[in-house]
Amino acid sequence: MDRAGLTLARRAFADARIRTAAFAYLFAIYAYIQPVGFRTAYPTPAARLGFAVSFAGNDAIRIFYGYPYDAATVAGYCAWRVGGTLAIAAAVLGVLAAVRALRAEEEAGRLELVLAGPVARRTALGAALAAIAGGLLIVWAAEALGSLAGGLGLGGSAYLALATSTVAAAFAGIGALAAQLAPTRRGALQLGIGAAAAALLVRAVADTAAGAAWMRWLTPLGWAEEMRPFTGARPLALLAPAALTALTLGAALAIAARRDIGTGILPTRERARPRLRLLGSPAAQALRLELGSLTAWTAGVALFAVVLGVVASSISAAGISNAVRKEVARLGSGAITSPTGYLAFVFIFFIVTISLFAGTQIAAARQEEAGEQLETLLALPVGRRRWLGGRLALAAGAAALLAAVAGFAAWAGASAAGVQISLAQGLEAGANCLPSTLMFLGIGALAYAVVPRASAAVVYGLVTVTFLWYLVGALLAAPHWLVELTPFAHIGFVPSESFRTGAALVMVSIGVICAACGLALFRTRDLTPA
Amino acid sequence: MGASRRRPAAGERAGRQARAPIRTEGLTKRYGTTLALDRLDLSVGEGEVYGYLGPNGAGKTTTIRLLLGVHRPSAGRAELFGLDAWREPVAAHRRVAYVAGEPFLWPALTGAETFELLARIHGGTDIAYRAQLVERFKLDTQKKIRALSRGNRQKVALIAALATRAELLLLDEPTAGLDPLMEAVFREAIQEARERGQTVFLSSHILSEVEALCDRVGILKQGRLVDEGTLAQLRHLSTQTVEVTFAGPAPALPPLAGVSAQSAGRNATRFEVAGSVGPLIAALAPYELVSLTSREPSLEEIFLHHYDGGG
Repeated sequence: MDRAGLTLARRAFADARIRTAAFAYLFAIYAYIQPVGFRTAYPTPAARLGFAVSFAGNDAIRIFYGYPYDAATVAGYCAWRVGGTLAIAAAVLGVLAAVRALRAEEEAGRLELVLAGPVARRTALGAALAAIAGGLLIVWAAEALGSLAGGLGLGGSAYLALATSTVAAAFAGIGALAAQLAPTRRGALQLGIGAAAAALLVRAVADTAAGAAWMRWLTPLGWAEEMRPFTGARPLALLAPAALTALTLGAALAIAARRDIGTGILPTRERARPRLRLLGSPAAQALRLELGSLTAWTAGVALFAVVLGVVASSISAAGISNAVRKEVARLGSGAITSPTGYLAFVFIFFIVTISLFAGTQIAAARQEEAGEQLETLLALPVGRRRWLGGRLALAAGAAALLAAVAGFAAWAGASAAGVQISLAQGLEAGANCLPSTLMFLGIGALAYAVVPRASAAVVYGLVTVTFLWYLVGALLAAPHWLVELTPFAHIGFVPSESFRTGAALVMVSIGVICAACGLALFRTRDLTPA
Repeated sequence: MGASRRRPAAGERAGRQARAPIRTEGLTKRYGTTLALDRLDLSVGEGEVYGYLGPNGAGKTTTIRLLLGVHRPSAGRAELFGLDAWREPVAAHRRVAYVAGEPFLWPALTGAETFELLARIHGGTDIAYRAQLVERFKLDTQKKIRALSRGNRQKVALIAALATRAELLLLDEPTAGLDPLMEAVFREAIQEARERGQTVFLSSHILSEVEALCDRVGILKQGRLVDEGTLAQLRHLSTQTVEVTFAGPAPALPPLAGVSAQSAGRNATRFEVAGSVGPLIAALAPYELVSLTSREPSLEEIFLHHYDGGG
């Protein structure tokens, strides 16, 4: 690569530094706490064996963590838990990194500027890809070091992290292709994240349905499982993600060499008959702009909730010893030995997901300010409180919709499969997603007023850190008061436990107070462009 | 708020000073350690077309952001129609329409949808006039904003603002992306606004535009207003050029206050005169002249004088 390419690569790498650091941190911590936590929770071989035959052997659990080849050893457990969970995060990372480095730069007009200089398209693309590879290398090292620090072997740790990284690489390839197909960052992200969600669904089926194990060979998530770190490694499985990465990148390069800069391959409508609905107020127009992604969120949540509801029917207490039940409860998963217990456990993930959704809403508000459309709005007779208040109301309403859909769909799936659960219980589980979401939304509003550029990151970071805190605390059997600092410790496992009204009131109050402060403080600051 | 929508009647002239469309007092803005605007005192009267001149970075956009209340003054105050720009932006903005130098609109909306959104939020849009402007600016309103060139996006913002018939138009380098034909349409539209009695605050660095449109001009330099007045006043304060061709070789005149002479060939001299030309004419009376031309300074010369000459 020539000097221009090197400069561009360095620039792209620096541009991604915060995302790289955040994922590296997440991967390192997660890879470290799993072996440590497992040793603490299951100190004896007998306890580990008990865990393996009951908890890990359960179909409904595999839907989240993938297929456990050997959950009776520390290393095998980690290969399953770390590999299975981080692979999903790695898929998201790959898409984000590729779309940002390729499509977002182009959409902002910077690629055109670069190509106006003595820089070939191949060089510009190569530089972006080199920067992505550099970022993935760091995240790989972080995960390997985390496992190593957790007491796993060097070679095994490196190989486990490699298995996770193949997912990131494959989805970076898919993201790169999506960035060539879609003409906008938003469109490319939707394609890439959609592909990741589809892969997750295929993995869930492959790991749970009888006779569907071959489906593991269909997705990067399955290939990472088939590499089988610590459990009879099969490095030949590396060929599949390597081939997919090479294929998608090759296709992306071929398209990039031929198409007009600033356009995509997918047809876009440049002209349209005016549709004048939802243009009456800033909030209505925000809803109009978010309608597409809101539909995707709703569909995704509904689909996963139905599947999980159906799977819940396979849960039974038979074969799970009392000792293991207690251990599982200590893992922070509640009493997961009945269909409703399983649903309660599953809903933790909806709680996290919908809390993260609050982050996307803060990000959308910030986007409108960074793009300076907000200045256009505020030059009209629109007050800041009305604008931000409308945005927050829209976010809260959308979150409530997602929560209701999750509850309803889980109920529908579970009752269709013969689980004894009432619609009210399902909706209660859905409603249980809201207190923390509203709290994070309120904190996001406050962050938006005080540190606008970092506001979405504050929400994503807080949700992730408090959730990890909760997991770590439960795993390490940390002192109560320490674990109770995180909101997740105060959320009841609905529907197997009851909704904790007191805690919910506290969380909603925190959210409302923060939002009120945010609304007040937003009026005292300058608008801040990107 | 109902009262604030009303246009001041002729009988309310007494209160007019306080209700000037734009008034700032000691308006100052700092960004960190950078002083972007330094104690600006500005007053734009009703029906006036005010040209706000200054090079890039002089503080023009900062002034407009403070007038719109999207940025907060570090010191001093800004008022629109007597309403504090920071504290009462919503009431003020009912009477204002704004066009930014770079139009930030919603890429996924078409021109027509953008008009609908902005009109419904602002209120009081003259739909017939808007349709007429669309025609005159030759805008395709069914195209999405993201498919429009910069100039065409600028047209969307301009048409939306002009069609509100707001009492005050705040225009921040509104013609930056327009071609000469559209620039002419823009000038017509501003003349129409003037005839309707709208006040126009036109920030620009296109001097010919300001010269053609504005009643009064303010020149901003590094955050300070260094000169202000009607074009005639600015010219009066500035030097004018008198070129004289003599029948014989140019004589050496005795030194005159406010006059500097410069040879412009064997028989010709160019005089730069500050103030009255009377003394120079008297001094020239004894000589036989072939020609005498006098030229007032262009706005460009006044502007450059402030910037090159240290103003």
